[in-house]
Amino acid sequence: MLPLRSACCVRRPLRVFVPPTEELLLNSESLYQFSTLTVVLLLIAFYGGTYLMTLGIRKKNEDADAFMVSNHRVGFGIGAASMTATWIWAASFYAAATSGYTYGVSGPIHYGLWGALMILFIYPFGRRFRKLAPNAHTLGELIHARHGSSSQLILALSNVLGSVISLMVNFTAAGALVSVLSPLSFQAGVIIAGVGVLLYTLWSGFRASVLTDFAQLVALMAIAIVIIPAVFFAMGGPSELVAGLDNLSVEQTNFFSTDAILNQGAPFFVAVLAYAIGNQTISQRLFAVNEEHIKPTFLTATIGYGAIVIGLGMIGLMALTLGVEPLNGDMNNLIPQMVSGYLPPIFIALFFILVIGSLSSTADSDLSALSAIMMADVYGKNIARGRADPKRMLLVGRLTMIVATIIGIVFASFSLDILVMLVFVGALWGAIVFPVIASCFWNRVTNAAFTTSVLVAMVLFCAARFELISLAGPGGLFFELLACIGGGVIIGLMVFGFLGQAAGFIAGILTLVASLIFATGFLRDYTVLLASLTAYGASTLVCVVMSLASRQARFDFDTIGQRVGNYDLSPAKSDDQPTEGRPAGLAAQH
Amino acid sequence: MTMLFSFYVLIWPVLTLGVLALICRAVWRDRQQARAENRELV
Repeated sequence: MLPLRSACCVRRPLRVFVPPTEELLLNSESLYQFSTLTVVLLLIAFYGGTYLMTLGIRKKNEDADAFMVSNHRVGFGIGAASMTATWIWAASFYAAATSGYTYGVSGPIHYGLWGALMILFIYPFGRRFRKLAPNAHTLGELIHARHGSSSQLILALSNVLGSVISLMVNFTAAGALVSVLSPLSFQAGVIIAGVGVLLYTLWSGFRASVLTDFAQLVALMAIAIVIIPAVFFAMGGPSELVAGLDNLSVEQTNFFSTDAILNQGAPFFVAVLAYAIGNQTISQRLFAVNEEHIKPTFLTATIGYGAIVIGLGMIGLMALTLGVEPLNGDMNNLIPQMVSGYLPPIFIALFFILVIGSLSSTADSDLSALSAIMMADVYGKNIARGRADPKRMLLVGRLTMIVATIIGIVFASFSLDILVMLVFVGALWGAIVFPVIASCFWNRVTNAAFTTSVLVAMVLFCAARFELISLAGPGGLFFELLACIGGGVIIGLMVFGFLGQAAGFIAGILTLVASLIFATGFLRDYTVLLASLTAYGASTLVCVVMSLASRQARFDFDTIGQRVGNYDLSPAKSDDQPTEGRPAGLAAQH
Repeated sequence: MTMLFSFYVLIWPVLTLGVLALICRAVWRDRQQARAENRELV
């Protein structure tokens, strides 16, 4: 299909009519270019429309609790839409397509499935978090009530780092997209996205985020539904795809490719629980959704995320079968190349909106998450200490959003390489998984056990990841043993979440034994995987040993609900809150 | 093989369509319920 031309758009260099395949090869030298006016109009339409939506829910005096988690009664539809939109960021499409292009038939599955399971596996634990602290705003508040400041701040720090990195990545994606598809500069794209997201999130916070997530997801899904089959049939349909399988290697045509499993699937699998626990955008939604709807909300989001991301990943597989080379060797150009090469400009405009929508929905959630952490975890629990003023909390939240946006724009504009921090953030998230979950189910876990276990795990992670200790000989064996425990912990926790304690314990032990038999002498060759598993294993071991050795009194979980409450108390709200009758601002303190 | 690959590629937009319909219906119900209870949707 030959792309249509219009007065508002030009493709550089000017092309002549050519058959589709040949056209695509030509197209590998340039992507479709919108005029500056067209891109500016598209961005104004998107961010302007989103801003107008939020005017419908805006209140002159927002309350601090609603700014963080709405009314704790967000419905199934809005909740599922928000969870799906938040979890899909710009990189989801690019990475899924890259996976399809690199690993062939199974590639999109090995990206999208594990990402989807991150949502699924957290909900059993989320229900427990919600039961313990029905009025919490952050997971950190729950941990503060359980252990105190040090454990809470470790969790808050990991959340802050994760959200700042996510903001930077999403703004970078906006800049890259704008600069690739228009004459506008990379920095202009970054600034427009940053300011646009801040504009509609600043006043109403989380409420604006979830409402706009719904609209953004509808647009995103509708576009994905159209674009995937459009590219598929424009490239020649199923017969062309099957004929192109000859271009694939044996591993790429194998649906059960070990290459894809070990390099793409396994690292993602290890991160399934860590990403979900370490991400305040998820916990915020766990505390915001109507408690009865947590399960259907997260199940729907799992299917929605998987379907969209795997579907768009198929475009990478299509590119592979056609023998398309990514423009400038950059895999991120694969989807734009395919859309640009086979579909008319209107589809490229839709693709543009698809990416802007996905990155904006994640960025506004990150801003809301960061503001909630600063409001509740930092100001509410550690600065105000019993005298939190809801108005001041709101000010803290909004200032946090402004500062975070500036940081995200600066990091993205100057292309500062903070992605290296992802290594540490990932390790920190892996290290906190067991202590956080155990703290919510086991009354013997102590604050010292939590904090020490995370710190020890981080040190051992660095030792393994950067090979500060030789991995040959006993050093390698030591880390492999910890990694085997880590493997057992991951599987054990996953099974525990769905099937209970006994099944989880058995699954964990079986995995540990199997790992000890098959993985020792082998894992040391995969340092990234070894180090990640070491973080899980070390934190679990230290946490369990210190908790068992402690003579501290057993913790009473009922006290958490009494210690974590709302900050604003309006007459309507106090009817069903356990903090009824206490002065505003003191309700959440203890 | 052709049928199999068609299914493999096209099942995802179909699933997406199903989820989209489910979410839209649920949001409509959420809105009705919020109105009935005289409270805001979010």
